[in-house]
Amino acid sequence: MTTPRSVLIIDDDPDFAQAVGGLLASSGYEVMTASNGRDGLDRAKKELPDLILLDVMMTERTEGFFTLQQIRRVPALQHTPVIVVSSIYTDQSVFRVNPEAGWLPASLFLPKPVDPARLLQESARLIDELAATTSGEPRAGSVTR
Amino acid sequence: MATDTLIDRRIAAPAAAQPRRVFVIDDDDVMLLTCRRTLEKDGYDVETFQNGLDGIRRIEQLQPQLLLVDLKMPELDGLQVIERVRKVDPDVVIAVITGYATISTAVEAMKAGAYDFLPKPFTPDELRLIVNRGHERWRLATESARLRREKEEAERRFVTFVSHQLKTPVVAAKQYLDVLLYTSASELTPRTQEWLKRAQARLDEMLTLIGDWLELARIERGIDSIGEPLMTSDLRKVISDVIDASQAHAQSAVVTLETDLAADVGPVRGDVVSLATVVSNLISNGIKYNRVGGRVTVRTRLEGGMAVVEVGDTGIGIAEESLPRLFQEFCRVKNDQTRDIPGTGLGLAICKRIVATLGGSIGVRSHVGEGSTFVVQIPTAART
Repeated sequence: MTTPRSVLIIDDDPDFAQAVGGLLASSGYEVMTASNGRDGLDRAKKELPDLILLDVMMTERTEGFFTLQQIRRVPALQHTPVIVVSSIYTDQSVFRVNPEAGWLPASLFLPKPVDPARLLQESARLIDELAATTSGEPRAGSVTR
Repeated sequence: MATDTLIDRRIAAPAAAQPRRVFVIDDDDVMLLTCRRTLEKDGYDVETFQNGLDGIRRIEQLQPQLLLVDLKMPELDGLQVIERVRKVDPDVVIAVITGYATISTAVEAMKAGAYDFLPKPFTPDELRLIVNRGHERWRLATESARLRREKEEAERRFVTFVSHQLKTPVVAAKQYLDVLLYTSASELTPRTQEWLKRAQARLDEMLTLIGDWLELARIERGIDSIGEPLMTSDLRKVISDVIDASQAHAQSAVVTLETDLAADVGPVRGDVVSLATVVSNLISNGIKYNRVGGRVTVRTRLEGGMAVVEVGDTGIGIAEESLPRLFQEFCRVKNDQTRDIPGTGLGLAICKRIVATLGGSIGVRSHVGEGSTFVVQIPTAART
């Protein structure tokens, strides 16, 4: 039996967390939520989710970016796929930020409201890609279930 | 952030903390002594210099509000001093001391950036008048700059506020509908699905309107980086990227996108976001107001130092009477053919603003039934 993949949603908007959480749950994910950066970081460290969804604009203006940096500083979370969502981001290709540009360690930007099909597709892809690169070996700090 | 100029620091410092300070630059030391005596009695802090270079060197440190400089000096004359002072501190008020009471000398000085002039010989009262007047001018200019900055800051906060506060609930509502329709479609009756989709569409309309309105607001207030003199972008690449991004829209409307881009049209004035907005709006209109099986063609060429972009479509065209209002806010041509075409009426107004800020122009050629061609001119980078 395969362990369900887990996702942590860090967003101060409870409606967004509920709607997107419901979507991911219906697709078989185990869903956790946190409503601010600090709780999100604590939860991430404790649960080591397979995927993190992070709102870049929370209550404090730089909260999202700061949280992302903090997450990346945790060795066990260094490679965890992080999808950054934002309602200020426009989806035109000319504005697409190259996640490999290095200045922002997110795996992907998605505009809000997120397209359900796209979110499910990208989530699966990012988790699979990571699994492929670590060639099935347990990540540092992960718990064998 | 903008570079921290002297006036930025002055505005930031409380007014009471700034001493009233005058620099006097004159090779005549008797003149310097007289000025010092008179002005110190009035409570001014006076610094005297026998040559321009010494004075200029101390400006940034001592931050005088007013500079009195003799036009005729052996090493650096008054006009040269003014020129150099302006580079260090564009806001210090300058009054020139002239040896000849001739109009032309005074005019020359004013043109060089002096605010006032004081012909020799002058009485202490005449000196006081000029210095007080100059200082008052400095005070007003600083106050005005401070108020303008506060207004800009308030507007910036307003735009950010509107952006986030208006969008957030709409985005949340639409997110629920998107997820619902995706996950529960099979549980919903056709009518429920239809109505939810209608709700989605109206919320989309709202999001687009907010986005467009904000864009216009940002451009109007110069909050964006549009038109910063040194920003240039590769127009060819911008057009090419926008065409790629527009393919999905074009395909769903069964319209072909074509380009004919001159090799010598490349760097133009403006940032990528602003240019992409203009091109994208025009192409989007070209697709929306087109026929099934129609074409949108984007051409570029160089003409008199300007990059000319033409976006032509084989669409329904625009009636002559609608042309004058076309670039106005919320103007939408309403007739049987355009009834079902979505849009906020801000696209062309936005284009016009952006193009104007860049120092270019936008126009249109069109005939009903024959399609339209929008022509945009943007200064090339070489010109700026």
